[in-house]
Amino acid sequence: MSSADDENAGVSADAATADTDVGDRLLWTEGLTKRFGGLTAVDAVDLEVRTGEIVGLIGPNGAGKSTLFNCVTGTLTPDAGRVFFRGDDVTDWPEHRLARSGLSRTFQQTRVYGGMTVRKNVLVSARTDRGFVASMRRPSGAAREKAEDLLRYVGLWELRDVRAGRLSFGQQKLLEFAMGLVTDPDVLLMDEPAGGINPSMLNMLIDHIRDANESREVTILLIEHNMDFVMDVADRIYVLAHGEEIAEGTPAAIQNDERVLDAYLGRE
Amino acid sequence: MTRYAAGVLEFADAHGWKIIAVLAVVGALPPLFGLEGGFYMTVATLTLMFGVLALSWDLIGGQTGYPSFGQMGFFGLGAYTTAILVKDQAVAFPVAFLVAGVLATLAAGVVGLIVLRLRGGYFAIATLGILLVAQQVSRNLEVTGGSSGKILLDVPPATTFYYVLLGLLVAEVAVVYYLTGTRFGYVLNAIRDDEGKATSMGVNTTYYKTAAWMLAALFTGLAGGSWSLFNTFVDPNTAYNLSWNVEMIAMALLGGTGTVAGPVLGAFGLHLTIVFIQSVSLDVTLPLLGPTTINFAGWQLVLLGLVVIVTVVSYPQGFVGELRERASAMEYYRHAGGAAGQETSHDETASPDGGERT
Amino acid sequence: MAVAQFVVNGLLVGALFASIAVGFALIWGVVEIINLAHGEMVMLGGYVSYWTVRSVAGEGAVSPVVALASVPVALVVLFVVGYGLQRFVVSRVTGTDLFLTLLVTFGLSIVIQQLALQAWSADPRTVAVQFTPQSFDVGGVFVPKTKLLAFVGAIVLTVLLWAFLRYTRRGRAIRSVAQNPDAAALLGIDVEHTRALTFGLSSAIAGGTGAFIGMILFVQPQMGLIYTLKSFVIVVFGGIGSVPGALLGGLLLGSVEELTAGLVSSQWTLAVSFGLLIVLLVVRPKGLFGRGVEGEP
Repeated sequence: MSSADDENAGVSADAATADTDVGDRLLWTEGLTKRFGGLTAVDAVDLEVRTGEIVGLIGPNGAGKSTLFNCVTGTLTPDAGRVFFRGDDVTDWPEHRLARSGLSRTFQQTRVYGGMTVRKNVLVSARTDRGFVASMRRPSGAAREKAEDLLRYVGLWELRDVRAGRLSFGQQKLLEFAMGLVTDPDVLLMDEPAGGINPSMLNMLIDHIRDANESREVTILLIEHNMDFVMDVADRIYVLAHGEEIAEGTPAAIQNDERVLDAYLGRE
Repeated sequence: MTRYAAGVLEFADAHGWKIIAVLAVVGALPPLFGLEGGFYMTVATLTLMFGVLALSWDLIGGQTGYPSFGQMGFFGLGAYTTAILVKDQAVAFPVAFLVAGVLATLAAGVVGLIVLRLRGGYFAIATLGILLVAQQVSRNLEVTGGSSGKILLDVPPATTFYYVLLGLLVAEVAVVYYLTGTRFGYVLNAIRDDEGKATSMGVNTTYYKTAAWMLAALFTGLAGGSWSLFNTFVDPNTAYNLSWNVEMIAMALLGGTGTVAGPVLGAFGLHLTIVFIQSVSLDVTLPLLGPTTINFAGWQLVLLGLVVIVTVVSYPQGFVGELRERASAMEYYRHAGGAAGQETSHDETASPDGGERT
Repeated sequence: MAVAQFVVNGLLVGALFASIAVGFALIWGVVEIINLAHGEMVMLGGYVSYWTVRSVAGEGAVSPVVALASVPVALVVLFVVGYGLQRFVVSRVTGTDLFLTLLVTFGLSIVIQQLALQAWSADPRTVAVQFTPQSFDVGGVFVPKTKLLAFVGAIVLTVLLWAFLRYTRRGRAIRSVAQNPDAAALLGIDVEHTRALTFGLSSAIAGGTGAFIGMILFVQPQMGLIYTLKSFVIVVFGGIGSVPGALLGGLLLGSVEELTAGLVSSQWTLAVSFGLLIVLLVVRPKGLFGRGVEGEP
């Protein structure tokens, strides 16, 4: 589709210089804390994502990564600390308001609207046509074009009239990704995008993520367990263990960090 | 069967508006050709009414995923409104009719603030509770005539109600059909499929749920408003008819929830079947009891209950739903191995919005 | 001391609400369905008791012994009915959409109601129990002996059920299925049988209570829905897994109803009960003691 091609053509081709395109901080937290009864799932985390980056969030199971995501998006209310997005304090914003301001997310369990067709899944998520009154019209040409563009991009266009619930797990993941992109987000939070993906498809996924970051100008924060994957795609990585941020740095630095190794191998 | 299903659905999706127009015209004919009153007029009018009710229920239940067990509450509110206004306040029927609709919609707005926060089973029971409270209140108030209800004498002729309900049904089908093709309709379905996901995608689900709920109440209230005069009598048991409450759900289920044609077809099918069964009596000779006439008059509710059970257990998708399922399955397998990027067969004749509106 | 009388009346009848609600809560917790046909089990139990008494003692009032003897009959019959319903009908929709299970059980309730109506007509039936004198007089408050009998009976049934769940193997199996069906299955517990057992026990206690209701009030085919809804109120109040919660809730509901009837008018009792239902749903969906229903993540 034409729009994707145009965007691709205009951007510099250097993936290696992605770091130099990084701007100011776009999404950050200060002292974010969340407790569940006696358990502190997220413990005073200061995290920062700058425009244009791809940031990884890793840590052993139960480290609090998904909870952190949920506090950021407004799904959960933090017990302490603040969340900032584009300079606004969005800690108390309701989830849907934050989502409409340019922050989108995908889920670990891959959530799509199973009863609706693939195409409708994307159309209903589109950024254009938003607004309660505006929704009373048929989807606009712009929305439909964008939906087609993205569905072709992830390779699901052929299945556009199939009920999303029928898709395989991998196909649903791609659909969810397309739905995330069609909202035209400034930041996309991805919860284990590589989870359950066939190893042979991982490279394609990395390409998709890089492409979203570079040509569609989406800043990305992703949680991952697959180490190779995350080291390959991220510019910077945070490590969480027991709810605390224990390390932060480039993939190379993290791989050699003693504290990180301790956390993963259980040496305390 | 499956190709037939896909074919029928494609035709319906492509020519929806024309089909609605044709059916509206066809529906308008019977009174012009002799249907004036009596038994058949009642059957026809009530069939249309159930169409309205089933479709209203489906709007909030099948499309939005909030299955109300108290929809008759709005029906009763509408019924009493017109009864009281026409009988006690000498208001003309058309005005009373509109007031009934407005009141039902407003009541839904208020009630919705409370109940739409609940989900699934809790929502269903809460709406049932509201229906029962409404029934009890009507039983206890003077203005509604208490348990004896109200008798209405000076009412418009039966044909009027036939056309009112026909008009209501056509209007509702048109509105719902239109909405299912808009983003509003898509959002309702998204709420049904995964409300949390919808919220995380930026949807303020409260607005949409409330709108669907109020729209459903509007049509239900208007139906009730016509019915009380048509029936010339209204009392707490008939206005808040608990078995109609279940019947409309069964109708939507049978026909196929989440579709436009489904609830209407289900309503027509089930109601006419029940009427038929009620009119049947068999003369048989039973052992021990000797010659007996088995009259099914009292048994329609048993039948209804059984229909509900069997439908839920074996055919939860309903008729139109089953058609859609098969068509969708076909669609998937046609593009099978249609893993990302692969092109198998093209079907450029599919409608631009992806059909799926019937 | 009119208020005291109302409260006593309320407590006496509240125990019956409680024992019915306990069964309802059990099905909800273990089989994970909201059984809208639960009230019909009460109704059937009442009829079983009535017909048992009639066939043994004919018309007229009977001695407390005969009346009590009909209770085990109701227990057994309803156990079988409940077991069968779960095993052959309800099990087909367990685990699917909650709405569908609601609809199936509602369908069942209609069928049972209507069949009862066809079979036994709408005439209310009572089992009149002979006590002389009919009541105790406790400092100005009348305690009808039949009601006291029913009260004690309901409490006994509730305690028996609670003890069964607590102290027997089968009871523990039931509780483990409630907590984690998959783990229970791995441990060798026949989950389907356990669920049917639960439904059976639930229906039994409902039926037994129905027998008592037939003694203090009356039974008629359409009485069921009200008890189902009252059970719902009580369980939402007391929490899904909790027997003490249901007991407390039942006693409270009974008192509120009797107070309303006495101080306002008996016409408004049901409206108040259903109104309470809605208030509770909005304010305390998790209940006082038990766990709430899993909502969205």
